[in-house]
Amino acid sequence: MDIDDILREVDPTFHTIPQEKRDLQELTRAWTAERSAPELLPWPTSGLFERINDSIKHQIEKVEEMTGDMDPKTNFALIVIQTELERYRYLVRSYLRARIAKIDRHTLHYLSTDDLRARLSEMELAYATRHQALLHNHYLSSFLSSFPAGLQNLNDAAGGISMIETPDLDAAVFIRLLKDTFVTARGVDEDDAANMRESDIIILRWSDAKPLVEAGSAELV
Amino acid sequence: MSYYDIDSILTQSEKIPCTFQLDIPDLGYLDNTPTQPLKAGTKVNLPLWLAEMLVIANSGDAEGKSFVTFDLPPALGNDVVQALKADPRAVPLRDQSPHFYGLGTHMMDLSEEQEMAAVLRKTFVTRAAEVALHARKVGGVGHRGKGPEEGSNLGIGGAGEEFLRGLDEWERKLFRKAHDGAKSGKEWMEGVKKH
Amino acid sequence: MPMYGDLGNKLVQHAKRTQNLAHLPSYQTELVRAVAREVRDLDKDVASLLEPFQGSFDPSAEQATACTLLVNHLSMRRNKRCLLAYHRTRTDKLEELVWSGSDVLDLAGQQTGGGNGGPVADSGGSSSLSPQEEDYFRQYGDLLAAYKGQWTDIDLTGSLEPPRDLFIDVRVLKDAGEIQTEYGAINLTKNSQFYVRQGDVERLIAQGYLQKLG
Repeated sequence: MDIDDILREVDPTFHTIPQEKRDLQELTRAWTAERSAPELLPWPTSGLFERINDSIKHQIEKVEEMTGDMDPKTNFALIVIQTELERYRYLVRSYLRARIAKIDRHTLHYLSTDDLRARLSEMELAYATRHQALLHNHYLSSFLSSFPAGLQNLNDAAGGISMIETPDLDAAVFIRLLKDTFVTARGVDEDDAANMRESDIIILRWSDAKPLVEAGSAELV
Repeated sequence: MSYYDIDSILTQSEKIPCTFQLDIPDLGYLDNTPTQPLKAGTKVNLPLWLAEMLVIANSGDAEGKSFVTFDLPPALGNDVVQALKADPRAVPLRDQSPHFYGLGTHMMDLSEEQEMAAVLRKTFVTRAAEVALHARKVGGVGHRGKGPEEGSNLGIGGAGEEFLRGLDEWERKLFRKAHDGAKSGKEWMEGVKKH
Repeated sequence: MPMYGDLGNKLVQHAKRTQNLAHLPSYQTELVRAVAREVRDLDKDVASLLEPFQGSFDPSAEQATACTLLVNHLSMRRNKRCLLAYHRTRTDKLEELVWSGSDVLDLAGQQTGGGNGGPVADSGGSSSLSPQEEDYFRQYGDLLAAYKGQWTDIDLTGSLEPPRDLFIDVRVLKDAGEIQTEYGAINLTKNSQFYVRQGDVERLIAQGYLQKLG
């Protein structure tokens, strides 16, 4: 389910909102979700970041054109544009950095299967692949190449512990329900299940929340 | 447990008392006698990373016995458990082991100690509340006047500092997180008041 | 007497201290070498223990040897984990330094008394980085630059503080003349009010020319 479909369902005025504003909303949602989820979420394939990049470029050009113009009216417009520009820049930067931090922490995990690799953008995939190669090369040249061949792996699970670290999918997250939903969640001592209402905010394990978020019944907050 | 995690690696260097179940000619060095065989029945303190696998591994004989048997380390001995039962906050866990809970968890994995599991859990819950309380107080974050912390018999003075000194690594992390959380919460509130 | 794994443990204790330091302490060249050597020695022991059996080793018939082999294997794996964790802790630190815009020349120069001629070139052993780490630092720097280059309008390594209070209302308390801001010049005459970028006027506020309103 696409975020557009979700928005259309929850917001009947969806089509009256201009594209640019919708993009900002989508960016804000993606940013919030990425910072809350313990694992990397799929890179938006809707062309969102291409549009946002264009929009930022456009705004920068506008600022440059208007700079030096002392008309107080344009001056005020300039301030508004610049505030908006800073906000865009911050959201994109913070979003990308949150993703890079997750990719860096569990690089081998995100490179391990096609499904996981598909969550990365093309640029992120190139970055992660190269980063892992640099690390491996660093270990090899520092000590690993002198090891017996059978001990040189970076991806086995010998000795009862996997060398490939994975994100903690049972970490707690907050979600807001987008519609009335029956929610089941696992606890430490006992599990719980209840009918929850739209706009309720609940805390639960990400592994329990994920299906709801993916189905569009809830969003991360 | 994650492969590259420094605290997890250090936890596994904690030693536990083990007893070898068979003679092993080449392992005398584990008992400081490298030129002699290690005799069955010899007690040796082994780090967890070694002991765990030797306990689990089957020596391959008909009775299916292990290479070594183990006892609980002194950090989780009866004295400590009794003291924790009396008052979890009064025991400086750090003096027992800097990775007290990590050690406890590993031991639970090796043996079914129902009572100890219950004691450790109660210890953690009780102390975590105390940790959070101190995290808010340190650096003047705590609010003055009557509040839930009035229930504590540990002030910020001598007893409080002694309590903080006795935190194990896990509790220290918790303390830092709670402290940062309280601090940014306070900054946020002040930011709101300004507007 | 020291047992296998003790030296590896020392490395990890170094790593633990490193995590809590702002700078990167000296690379433990000797310790790293010793732990790696221990792995090779253990591997040789394993080979010579197995040698008499000519590939037909039966663990249940040779329990004592099986136990020794297990101990050797575990010791090798333990050393490997210690070495990797130690190096990883340091590359994490190096990456942080790259993100914050540090220069490898500065880093290497810290302990060489800032000698010119490039302490990287002459790895005279006084740098806190190993030669391999200096390579890694440069290569990761190139990698990050390439990634950043795809997002030039964003400034990927910029502040992660949300742009709060970006613009503020100020009143001019005494004539301060004309100031240059990113969006043109403003003439600050007494009692006039402006809505300006906080970063542009912070010093004027501190000096008492402007008063922040609201």
